[in-house]
Amino acid sequence: MTLVELNHVSKSFSKGDETITPLDDVSLQIDAGEFVSLMGPSGTGKSTLLNLVSGIDRPDSGTIHVDGTEITGLSRSKLADWRAANLGYIFQTHNLIPVLTAYENVELPTLLLPLSSAQRRDRVQLALEAVGLVDRAEHYPRQLSGGQEQRVGIARAIVAHPKVVVADEPTGSLDTETSQQIQVLLQRLNQELNITLLMVTHDADVAAIASRQLLLDHGRFLESNGAPQSDNNKASLSS
Amino acid sequence: MTTYVLKTLLRHRVRTMLTVSGAAVAMFVYCFVGSVQEGLARLTTGSDADRSLIVFQENRFCPTSSRLPEDYSDKIMDVAGVRQVMPIQVWTNNCRASLDIVVFNGAAPDQIQSSRPVELTAGDWQTFQTRRDAAIVGRNVARRRGLAVGDQFSIGDVSVYVAGVFRSTVPSEENLIYTSLRFLQYTRGLDAAGLVTQHEVLLNEDADPDRVASQIDQVLRAGPVATTTRRKGAFQASTLSDLVDLIGFAHWLGYACVALVLSLVATTTVMSVQDRIKEYAVLQTIGVRPLRALRLVLAESMILCLVGGVTGTLLAGAVLGLGGFAIGAEGATIAFRPSLSLILSGTIVSLLVGIVAGIAPAIQAATVPIVDALRQA
Repeated sequence: MTLVELNHVSKSFSKGDETITPLDDVSLQIDAGEFVSLMGPSGTGKSTLLNLVSGIDRPDSGTIHVDGTEITGLSRSKLADWRAANLGYIFQTHNLIPVLTAYENVELPTLLLPLSSAQRRDRVQLALEAVGLVDRAEHYPRQLSGGQEQRVGIARAIVAHPKVVVADEPTGSLDTETSQQIQVLLQRLNQELNITLLMVTHDADVAAIASRQLLLDHGRFLESNGAPQSDNNKASLSS
Repeated sequence: MTTYVLKTLLRHRVRTMLTVSGAAVAMFVYCFVGSVQEGLARLTTGSDADRSLIVFQENRFCPTSSRLPEDYSDKIMDVAGVRQVMPIQVWTNNCRASLDIVVFNGAAPDQIQSSRPVELTAGDWQTFQTRRDAAIVGRNVARRRGLAVGDQFSIGDVSVYVAGVFRSTVPSEENLIYTSLRFLQYTRGLDAAGLVTQHEVLLNEDADPDRVASQIDQVLRAGPVATTTRRKGAFQASTLSDLVDLIGFAHWLGYACVALVLSLVATTTVMSVQDRIKEYAVLQTIGVRPLRALRLVLAESMILCLVGGVTGTLLAGAVLGLGGFAIGAEGATIAFRPSLSLILSGTIVSLLVGIVAGIAPAIQAATVPIVDALRQA
């Protein structure tokens, strides 16, 4: 079943006199439960695509549907509600709230949902268990290592049981060993909890853990081996 | 989300403390200025100010220069609408504006007890009525001068025995010292046997104060000394005219204090939001609505303002209540007294300033371009 669907999406930016078009008439489908990695050189529109799927940026043209909802037509407030209920975002730099403990950071998205305090507590507990950080629940971000911070970030992204989780270079700021731990964790989340994941990465080894790997080059999708996709960049790109 | 707001404020303890302290100081001054304004309003309005008249020597201002025959009271009593006349000898240590003015009012003790709005909190009326040099002291004077029942109090040529301390529903009364009329008339230096400074006239319910005042001056025109009779409120406003102008100007100081709190809290909140603009982008990425982000910032600025403002307001209330401050000139005094309306006004102003100070940074946080803010280091 198609969960995320981009149809003829384009996005341009003005930089001085120059117009940059990181995404040009891009179409893409991601099925529920898929783990898709998105690779490509810097400036090729990977993060732009991630931001469009997340609803924190809007395309110039084209439509984006997630689980049947066309998010491109939603207002800023409606998009916020939609993100709270349907989207988990894993940042490269963790972006935890420094004044809140690990528990409170993970709890934050659940405060935006109609849940009882007992339900919230259970969800936070489960999310922290999933990332193996129950014993660090009362620690503040400054008391955690980079890897632990990223695991808290992952717990925060999955605690609301989102339909899709996007990850922007989730291992980009971590050492090799910690990076591998996070890769294993992301794989487990996809396989054991059936979470749909869209991950942007520079690292081919990290991209390899995904069930489908896409390469984005100058606003167009290529297969992971570098060959262009057929049918004017509109292919479903299923693995 | 409340935890987030409170913890955010605690994260920058020094900045929060400085802002709260600044707001507290400004609201302290605001309430102090407000109490002076209220004191003046109480002095010039209300039943005591509107329903009683003061008969004073024409074209005289300082109590020492007004010398009216004591027996004018009999002639005044004959005027229609007059219920009671109280001849008063006034003695003050300072005719000019002063923060520690001491004003003696000499009148018949039984009249003081029956017609003045005073209630003894210590001492007894009998000693006041029977002992020649006895005085009852307003509690503000007692507090300022450290006087208690049984003390002997001397100032200039006047030396009295403190027979009682009183409180009053009219705050300015609490800055007076009452003695018997005879005692004050015969005080060395006054040489006022048979003379008084003024006559205080209490009116019947249905009497028109201005018409009665005019009739009194008409009746006394045939006497040895011409008079000017005015409502007590108008008389006091005229007596304190220089101070009234100053106090009128001082309300700008009150507005300046409000502006100070506004700019202080707005600056702090703007800095706080700009420091954490990425944090607001993260919050909105995980699903916090723009309106909620706006409310988070408003809550921060309101807490800063309310904690500081209410602290300053309560502190001002305590200082005003315990200090017994007053300013006076030419025998009339304005009492600075805390009031519920002042405390409420301080609290409401703090709340409103908190909201206004937070609006600009709140809009900034709510409308942050999420993608651009997330790119910030």
